[in-house]
Amino acid sequence: MNKVESTQRAAPESMVPVGVVPTTIVQAAMSDFQACTTHAALENAKSRYLGKSGLITERLKGLSELTPEHKKVHGAEINRDKDSIEAAYKSRRGELETEALNAKLAAESIDVTLPGRGRGTGGIHPVIQTWQRCEEIFGSIGFDVADGPEIEADWYNFTALNNPPNHPARSMQDTFYVDMNGTDGLPLLLRTHTSPMQVRYAKMHADDLTNNGKPIKVIAPGRTYRVDSDATHSPMFHQIEGLWIDENISFADLKGVYTDFLRRFFETDALQVRFRPSYFPFTEPSAEIDMKFDSGPLKGRWLEISGSGQVHPSVVKNFGLDPERFIGFAFGSGLERLTMLKHGIGDLRLFFEGDLRFLKQFA
Amino acid sequence: MKFSESWLRSFCNPSMTTDELAHALTMAGLEVEEVKPAAPPFTKIVVGEIISREKHPNADRLSVCMVNVGSHSAAPLQIVCGAPNARAGIRIPCALVGAELPPDAEGKPFVIKQAKMRSVESNGMLCSSKELGISEASEGLLELPLDAPVGADIREYMKLNDAVFEVKLTPNKADCLSVYGVAREVHAITGASLAAAPAREVKVTLKDVLRAKVSAADLCGRFAGRIIRGVNAKADTPAWMRERLERAGQRSISALVDISNYVMLELGRPTHVFDLDKVHGSLDVRWAKKGETLKLLNGNTVELDEQVGVIADDSGVESLAGIMGGDSTAVNLETTKNVYVEAAFWHPAAIQGRSRRFNFSTDAGHRFERGVDWETIPQHIDYISALILEICGGEAGPIDDQTVSVPARNAVTLRIARAQKVIGVAVSADEMSAIFTRLGLRHTRDADKFTVTPPSYRFDIEIEEDLIEEIARIYGFDNIPALPPLARAAMRAEPTDRRSLHDLRGAIAAKDYFEVINYSFVDESWEKEIVGNVNPIRLLNPIASQMAVMRSSLIPGLLANVAHNLKHKAARVRVFELGKVFMRDSSAQDGKLGISGVSQPLMLGGVAWGGAASEQWGERERTVDFFDGKSDLQAVIPGLVCVKATHPLLHPGRSARITLNGQHAGWLGELHPRHLKAFDLDSAPIVFEVMASVAQLKKGVAVEVVAKTPLVRRDVALVVEQSVESDALIQSLHQAAGPVIRSIDVFDVYRGANLPPDRKSVAIRVLMQDTERTLEDSQIDATMKKLVVRAEEAFGATLRT
Repeated sequence: MNKVESTQRAAPESMVPVGVVPTTIVQAAMSDFQACTTHAALENAKSRYLGKSGLITERLKGLSELTPEHKKVHGAEINRDKDSIEAAYKSRRGELETEALNAKLAAESIDVTLPGRGRGTGGIHPVIQTWQRCEEIFGSIGFDVADGPEIEADWYNFTALNNPPNHPARSMQDTFYVDMNGTDGLPLLLRTHTSPMQVRYAKMHADDLTNNGKPIKVIAPGRTYRVDSDATHSPMFHQIEGLWIDENISFADLKGVYTDFLRRFFETDALQVRFRPSYFPFTEPSAEIDMKFDSGPLKGRWLEISGSGQVHPSVVKNFGLDPERFIGFAFGSGLERLTMLKHGIGDLRLFFEGDLRFLKQFA
Repeated sequence: MKFSESWLRSFCNPSMTTDELAHALTMAGLEVEEVKPAAPPFTKIVVGEIISREKHPNADRLSVCMVNVGSHSAAPLQIVCGAPNARAGIRIPCALVGAELPPDAEGKPFVIKQAKMRSVESNGMLCSSKELGISEASEGLLELPLDAPVGADIREYMKLNDAVFEVKLTPNKADCLSVYGVAREVHAITGASLAAAPAREVKVTLKDVLRAKVSAADLCGRFAGRIIRGVNAKADTPAWMRERLERAGQRSISALVDISNYVMLELGRPTHVFDLDKVHGSLDVRWAKKGETLKLLNGNTVELDEQVGVIADDSGVESLAGIMGGDSTAVNLETTKNVYVEAAFWHPAAIQGRSRRFNFSTDAGHRFERGVDWETIPQHIDYISALILEICGGEAGPIDDQTVSVPARNAVTLRIARAQKVIGVAVSADEMSAIFTRLGLRHTRDADKFTVTPPSYRFDIEIEEDLIEEIARIYGFDNIPALPPLARAAMRAEPTDRRSLHDLRGAIAAKDYFEVINYSFVDESWEKEIVGNVNPIRLLNPIASQMAVMRSSLIPGLLANVAHNLKHKAARVRVFELGKVFMRDSSAQDGKLGISGVSQPLMLGGVAWGGAASEQWGERERTVDFFDGKSDLQAVIPGLVCVKATHPLLHPGRSARITLNGQHAGWLGELHPRHLKAFDLDSAPIVFEVMASVAQLKKGVAVEVVAKTPLVRRDVALVVEQSVESDALIQSLHQAAGPVIRSIDVFDVYRGANLPPDRKSVAIRVLMQDTERTLEDSQIDATMKKLVVRAEEAFGATLRT
């Protein structure tokens, strides 16, 4: 309101008498234009100076009454004033346009902090994220990935891995059996480890190694089953089995590869890794692998992480390979265990409850 | 296996601390799971003798004792005591003033001070075994033998500065199932000297022999025994033996049983002591006959057959060979006078699996399954006999010893270069030889190889790798470097016509689904009632009835996930799983990746329940429907086709079979309302399940020229019967139209006012383009005309006006 009033007061014609010093009329126009806050007011003010009966127009008309010398001098002055007033008008008009645009944009502004529209995204299960990470890490030095049947034949799960029926080592793993027999007459079972894939994959690739010199280098991640259930044991869990067979893959190489894997997986070179003698029917020498963090809540404790060893010659023979010529290592680790150590998760059962409050934390 | 450190060190005593010794064992493959002190810390507790005991003048239950503590005090100490068995003449542990008793739960020791108890001065404390922290409960003061030296430190006197090792042995370490066996190992690891195995001579004073016959050489390789007459079965087990047994976790039972257990723990020799007077006639070692039964020592009666070995007498089976004795010939405290001590070599293969079959395990069976030394049988019978004679008295007869079929110990060859190659370190031949020597492996070297003959107590050395393992183990895994392999490499690449499983996961997760992992075994009712699978594959040994059969569908598990999250107030749940399902399938064959009779395809399943999007400020709320599900699934299988079909899981009017290039891929639909209740749902979720192998297929790329001519759009609304399927209409139009068609798509479907109730209007967008030149109006009109005519002819369509 104040601005409008001042606009109305700003240009009384009586304040700009005819014949005053020409610069004053420019100043008056500029001050008039400046006082205008709308396009309409600005147009009105402009016509008061430059319109058909505006002050400048009137003055130009008055020139005809002057002498040629005066006409020349005054004419030039009036035209200069006219140019100045026109420039002032254009400038003010530009300003008003900018103001109007700014006002419009201000009115259109939104709350950018409101949530984005539409669906969110889901997420991959933490154990599967570990699985993917293992594939990436082992893939970086050329390991292939394989998977096979979960209902498995006795031969692949045990006997081919040098663990014949009644062997005391069979009691190391409590096995689920199903109500069907394999073609060998023995009951089919739920694989107790992903090691049967060692045999299946190696059989499929044995000729390629023997004849074409392509190393057998594979990991087999997947579901496995054992008769066991509490906070640290699940009747179903995931294992990742690794196998590297070639002419010269030694126990020292096993130590190198697996140590490197753990340090990459846990993203710290400060991780300590130790191998200690153990026993598995399908490897010899066999090693249990322990690791120790140098920081974090689990720091300073040796944590069992994997079983491993040099593949037993009987198993290499079952691969369809000559154990005299080919040696190598195998290892098996629990994906849940790796995940729990990575994230400091204490209860294995969380992985199998499908609780979104848990799963969303890994998205 | 549990045993005390002092017992172990009595045979091999390296100069290492307890922790160092435990670590050394662990790093040699004998994992020490726990080391526990035999007694908690305490100080200044000595052997005291109660000289006199008076009743406390001011308290009925207390007594005032004068206690001789030898050199610790010139005069006897006056000590107030509350124990009921406090009396003159007994020797007891006495805590002196200043003594620290075992720490309490907070770890603070209790300090004994001079005190007045009910105004009588007390200068110490008399202790029970519980107060010393060596037993859980006790009745009064711990009464020590009357010859306990007064004033001696209790820790020294009772050998309490000891630790109990618990070792987890792997199945191959049969030779370490005894304290002496572990001592042999300590010698091999540390080089500390090894004492000779404990042995005693027995004076044979009787001529009696119990006749025994070995009828099954494939069961029993050597059988030996001796009669001992006139034993006192009630004799006390000596304190030293009881202490070692207790620290090994064995409760003392009776002298004869304790002695047998002691020899088993010390030497790894299981023996059996029969009550001779209950044996009828002579013994026969044979396979059992079908129909025979035996009541075991533990009271169970087992049914036998030809797979199980027994020791029988003239009246029947008396013992389960190598596993457990029978009840009828067991020794007892009251009547046993004469015994027969038996030790045998049972072939591991004849024992393996038998305990498991009867569902129990014994220490003897555990050892015989893995292998027990056959050579030392007579020495060990002498040792146990000597202990019996010493502790229970009696007179011994000669050992009757028959060897029928002991294993051969074949020499094993080790090539030095092979060992170095497998281990990856150039362990020298001399070092290998030294390792063999420390392990007690007789060996000779011939240039580049060793010939090694394993001793009879080793059952794990048959091939070269067994020796390589021994070298690596004793050389020390820690001393083998962790090397990055130097090996030949081959490149790998994934085929471009298949997507990886992780890509599938990523695609569906991007559609707002969270991945879950459900058990592969489910409740039988899920299979039968929800999935409609009447004959699921059953587990023979499920851990719970709700995990009894193998699933043939991922969907019920996913619905249970929805129910679980609903319970936790989730308003919208979208989950998926990538997992195998399992069906009987007579066409399935054994193969590279197959198992005869079972098909186990990998499936991708998903369930979406609740809002199409989560409740939010900027979008109208709408429940997820079939077409949301279809769009989600198209992210995984872009070229999918829905064919109307019914499935027991799904709403019959809102379900589709999914195909890709005519190949069956799976199912999509709204859950059948009859299943809502089972999962406590109030509205129907959209569910899908497709074969991962089909979803993985990727369309090959066929590049088309990008035309520069203008694209023309024409829309047309066709009124057709409600039953006309959009896919069929569009396909038909495609066939009718000429080559200028770029695409034909439905962009709106209208039902309602202005249309008869059995009709719907389908709005279609047609995009046309000639790649060579600009289309003329006449061409465009002619094409549109063709489409309309086709729609009229094939579907009775009319143009909507």
